Amino acid sequence: MSATPDQANPVRAFVAQLWGSVFRHGLPTNDKVAARTALTNFFLHIHPVRVKKSAVRVSYTLCLGGLSFFLFILLTITGLFLMFYYIPSVDTAYQNVSDLQFVAVFGDIIRNMHRWAAHAMVITVWLHMARVFYQGAYKPPREFNWVIGTFLLLITLLLSFSGYLLPWDQLAIWAITVGTNMAKYAPIVGPYTRYLLLGGDQVAQGALIRFYVLHVIALPLVGFLLMVVHFWRVRKDGFTGGL
Amino acid sequence: MATVVEGGRDPRGTVTPRPQAPVPGPELASTPLVIRRREDEETVVTFPYLVWREFLAGLAAFCFLLLVSIQINAPLLSRANTSITPNPAKAPWYFVGLQELLERFPPIMAGVAFPSFVIIFMILTPYLDRNQSRRPQDRKVAIVLFTIYMCLAVAFVVIGEFFRGEAFNWDWTLILGHPGLSSPV
Ligand code: HEM
Repeated sequence: MSATPDQANPVRAFVAQLWGSVFRHGLPTNDKVAARTALTNFFLHIHPVRVKKSAVRVSYTLCLGGLSFFLFILLTITGLFLMFYYIPSVDTAYQNVSDLQFVAVFGDIIRNMHRWAAHAMVITVWLHMARVFYQGAYKPPREFNWVIGTFLLLITLLLSFSGYLLPWDQLAIWAITVGTNMAKYAPIVGPYTRYLLLGGDQVAQGALIRFYVLHVIALPLVGFLLMVVHFWRVRKDGFTGGL
Repeated sequence: MATVVEGGRDPRGTVTPRPQAPVPGPELASTPLVIRRREDEETVVTFPYLVWREFLAGLAAFCFLLLVSIQINAPLLSRANTSITPNPAKAPWYFVGLQELLERFPPIMAGVAFPSFVIIFMILTPYLDRNQSRRPQDRKVAIVLFTIYMCLAVAFVVIGEFFRGEAFNWDWTLILGHPGLSSPV
């Protein structure tokens, strides 16, 4: 009776047990193991087990939907770091942001990344919409995913817009003043909408706290929920596939 | 040897009608895991094939953003001051197109009618477009209309951002510089 190496070596046996308890399957040495891994892993479950080769060609999606999602995650992570410093009060906000930019270690990189990723996301989401249109990928059975996409585009714009105010510098309040003035023009509801958004007649503390809450909680939450549904439907409808 | 599964598409890209009721039964029965044994319809396992590519794309995007963020600082002007209005005061770039519209049309049109129309029309797009084909040669009208819309949207943003100076008046000097000066002021 020869012992297997694992039985002979308790350390290796333990490591094997530890590994096995975390990952249900070994390395994807063949398609079968790979498929089982994809099926049983929560994070990989966002994908079907197999896809058409034509659907994963970079030339098909141009990575744009995936990039938008990646940027959203990056924004959530960098935004979390920014929140450690930022206090949404007109007395402190500007100082907090300049500290981030000029004093805190790596603060400038985190803030820059958050800013540029936000701009980039507006562009990638816009281009993703364009690629979906040009490929007619909104046609049945995917009509409703296009509708969800429309709301995602609006959420993306609103997220970016609400973040714009937070540094509380000259760029911020005047851009928001100009932006919210546009709301005034709607008949009857216009002025009320603006008042509701700003929590007052002009861009002041009331506006700052409202924009802050929208920016860090409300809009990301709604956006994330819509994305989950968006991805679920992409999964269920299948990729449109190459032309 | 092609096995066409319900809800699938024929190779030329025309959409076959969606199945009336999803097939009940064992897991994944209604997922359109269309497996067609043809060279051009080959399938691959998503893990690790696709996941690896996504990882690379993410890594590339991250490195790019990191480099940009090391090189270029996000803007931070002086502290907000309600008594000093910058001139021109501009909306964030993605809303500057709207601001440009407001310059050209009555507010009720530019600020309310146009944006509402765009949003509503966008939501309705898949329901208004009765053409089932996805082939570009069958969709000339849709493609031309959409392209016009995209170009207009980009043009308004570019004009608002780069061609509007003081008091939001037309200003070539933002791009071309002042005549007689060596650098744009
Ligand atoms: C936050 C914004 C968004 C994210 C994160 C997102 C993400 C994605 C991803 C990852 C896919 C899979 C294919 C791909 O990568 O291209 C996809 C597909 C799709 N998206 Fe989006 N999307 C967003 C916004 C939009 C918008 C604005 C529209 C259109 C108005 C849209 C409509 C669609 C449709 C119809 C599909 C299915 C396409 C197909 O099967 O070929 N999405 N989206």
